[in-house]
Amino acid sequence: MSESTTPGTGRSGVIHDLGYRRYDGPREGTGAIARTLFLTGLRHAYGLERSGKSKVMPFLLLGMSLLPAAIIVGVVVLTGLRSLPVTYAGYTSQTQLLVSLFAAAQAPVLFSRDLRHRSIVLYAARPLSSAAFGFVRWLSMSVALLAFMVIPTLLMFVGALLAGLDKSDQLSDLYKAVVLQVFLAALVAGITGLVSSVSLRRGFAVVGSVMVLIVLTGVVTAVQNIAQSQGSDSVSVGAGLFSPWSLYSGLGNAWDAGTRVPVSVDGAWVPAYVLVLLLVAAGCVLGLVARFRKVGSR
Amino acid sequence: MGAPPVISTAGLTKHYGNVHALTDLTVDVGPGVTGLVGANGAGKSTLIKILLGLIEPTGGRAQVLGHDIDAASQEIRRLVGYMPEHDCLPPDVSASDFVVHMARMSGLGHAAARERAADVLRHVGLDEERYRPMGGYSTGMKQRAKLAQALAHDPRLVFLDEPTNGLDPAARNDMLRLVGRIGSEFGIAVLVTSHLLGELEQVSDHVIVLDGGRLLRSSATGDFLRRTGGLLVEVVGTETERDRLGEALAQRGLVCRPRGTMVAIDPPAPELATEGVAHDLIRDVAADLGLGLMRLEPDRGHLEDVFLEGGAHV
Ligand SMILES: Nc1ncnc2c1ncn2[C@@H]1O[C@H](COP(=O)(O)OP(=O)(O)OP(=O)(O)O)[C@@H](O)[C@H]1O
Ligand SMILES: [Mg+2]
Repeated sequence: MSESTTPGTGRSGVIHDLGYRRYDGPREGTGAIARTLFLTGLRHAYGLERSGKSKVMPFLLLGMSLLPAAIIVGVVVLTGLRSLPVTYAGYTSQTQLLVSLFAAAQAPVLFSRDLRHRSIVLYAARPLSSAAFGFVRWLSMSVALLAFMVIPTLLMFVGALLAGLDKSDQLSDLYKAVVLQVFLAALVAGITGLVSSVSLRRGFAVVGSVMVLIVLTGVVTAVQNIAQSQGSDSVSVGAGLFSPWSLYSGLGNAWDAGTRVPVSVDGAWVPAYVLVLLLVAAGCVLGLVARFRKVGSR
Repeated sequence: MGAPPVISTAGLTKHYGNVHALTDLTVDVGPGVTGLVGANGAGKSTLIKILLGLIEPTGGRAQVLGHDIDAASQEIRRLVGYMPEHDCLPPDVSASDFVVHMARMSGLGHAAARERAADVLRHVGLDEERYRPMGGYSTGMKQRAKLAQALAHDPRLVFLDEPTNGLDPAARNDMLRLVGRIGSEFGIAVLVTSHLLGELEQVSDHVIVLDGGRLLRSSATGDFLRRTGGLLVEVVGTETERDRLGEALAQRGLVCRPRGTMVAIDPPAPELATEGVAHDLIRDVAADLGLGLMRLEPDRGHLEDVFLEGGAHV
C-alpha cells in the first residue's frame, strides 16, 4: 500500500487548477536551443541579466576603450584633419591591454562557472551535448570580444564620415580591421576559454589569461625589438608567431592595415602567420570542447 | 501489463579498468515509481549516466522510452529529466531564473518556460524564496530546486539520484511524498535511487537492488514485504529487558536477533505465520514477563537482510 489515489486521476480529472499540468506545446530542436544558449552567453559576457556588480567590469572596460576613439573623433571633426591619426586595426592594437583584460575577466563567466558549480551536468543531460555546449560558449565569447573591438571601430568610422573623409578609403580600412578582429576574437576566445575551463578558480583563470595575453605578448614584443636592433630580422618576425597580439599586428602589417611591427611581415611568413593563428585557435576550441565533454560525463 | 517497458537493459556492463561499476545488468523498468537500491558504489549513478548517454557502457544494450541509448541518446535526453546526486546549482542565480533557463535548454519557448517554471516550483514547494539566489538555500531547498529543473520540461521519465541526500527526517518525508506524487499524480515514470531500502519501499511500486554492480533482485514492492515478512519488537527498559524478551521468544520457536534497542524476528515458521498469530504470541510473552511493549511492527526490511538473503540465492 503506497498510494491511496489511483494512478492517472490527476491527469484527466481537472478538479481544481492546482493539479499537475502537462505540457503539450512545441519543443524546439537543438539548433534553436543552441541559439538561445549563444544569446544568453553573449549577454552574460557583458553582465547583462546578471547582478549589477557583474556589469561593472565589462562596461568600465568598454567605456575606457571608447574614450580615446571619442576624443579622436572630436579632434578630427573640429580641426578638419584630412585623415584619422590611427587606422582602425591600429586602434585595436593600441587598446590591446583593455581587450585582453576584458577577455581575461569575462571568460571565467562563460567557461568556469558551469564547470565549477557542476551545472554542466544539467546541460549534458539535455538535448545539446556538453561538447556542443563548450563550442557554443566559445562562439558567445568570440562574438562578445568582436563586439568589444568593433564598437570603438564603428564610432571612429562614423566620426570619419562626419568629418567628410573619403568614404571608400575608410570602408576599405574598416573592412581590413574587422576581418583581422574576427580572427583575433576567435583566437583570444579560444585561449581564454581553454584556460578558464581548466583553472576553475576565477582568480587563477584570470591570472592564466593575463599571462598569455599580456605577459607573453610583452615578452614577444621585447624579443622582436631586440632581434630587430641586432639585425636578426627573421628572428624578429619568427618570434611574432608566439603571441596572439603579435600575430594580429603581423598580419595587419602584411595586409597594410596600419598595425606597427618592428620588422615587416612578408613572403612565406604571411601564410605561416595565418596558419599558426588558425591552428592555435582550432586547437584551443578542440581542447575546451574535450574538457567540457569530460566534465559533463562525471 | 503489456505496456512496453520504460527502461530495458540487456547485459549492460561498465568497467573502469579493474573497477566493475556495472556487470551484466539485465532488467526492465515499468511506469510508476521504481526504486534503485544499493550501497555506496553499487553502480546506481553509473546506470543512470549510461541511460542518459553521458557515459558509454563497456558492453550490453539498453533502451529508454523505446529509444536505443547508442543511436538516439539525444532523443532520450529530450524526454527525460535528471536530478544528479551532487550539488549542481550556480549560487548567484535565483531558482526561478535557473529553472526557466533549464526549461529553455530542453527546447521550451520563452513564455512556455516561464509558465512551466512557475508551475513546477510551486509543486516542489519553493515559494517566495524562488526569487532569491540559490547560494543562500538550505539543503532541502536546493534539493527542491534540483528536482524542479528536472521536471521543468514535463519529461516522461525522471532519474532522481538520491533526492533525500542530506535531508532531515521531516524534509525526507516531504521529498518522498513528492516523489510518489510524481509517479502517480503527475504520471511521470520515476527511477529513484537510495541506499536505504526502507525509505524507497514507502513510495516505490517496484524495487531493484544492485550489489557491487550486479542485479541482486528486481520485484514489486509488495513481494519485498512478503519476502521480508519479519517483525520488530521493542520493550521498555534496557538491553537486559530486550534480551529477556528475545530469549523467551526463542523458547517459543521464533528466530530472533538483537538489533539496536529492538528485537528483530525472522519470518515466522509456517505454523506461526498465519496473520496475527505471531503478534498475539509476542504480546502474551511480553505480558508474562511483565515487560511494557513499546513497539511491534513489521520489519521494514533492511538492505543488509536483502543482501544476506539474495546472497544465498545467487
Ligand atoms: N570515472 C570513474 N572512474 C573509475 N571508477 C569509477 C568512476 N565512476 C565510478 N566509478 C566506480 O564505479 C563504482 C560505482 O559507482 P557509482 O557512482 O555508480 O555508485 P553508486 O551506487 O551511485 O554509489 P553512491 O551511493 O556512493 O552514489 C564505484 O566503485 C566507483 O568508485
Ligand atoms: Mg551515486
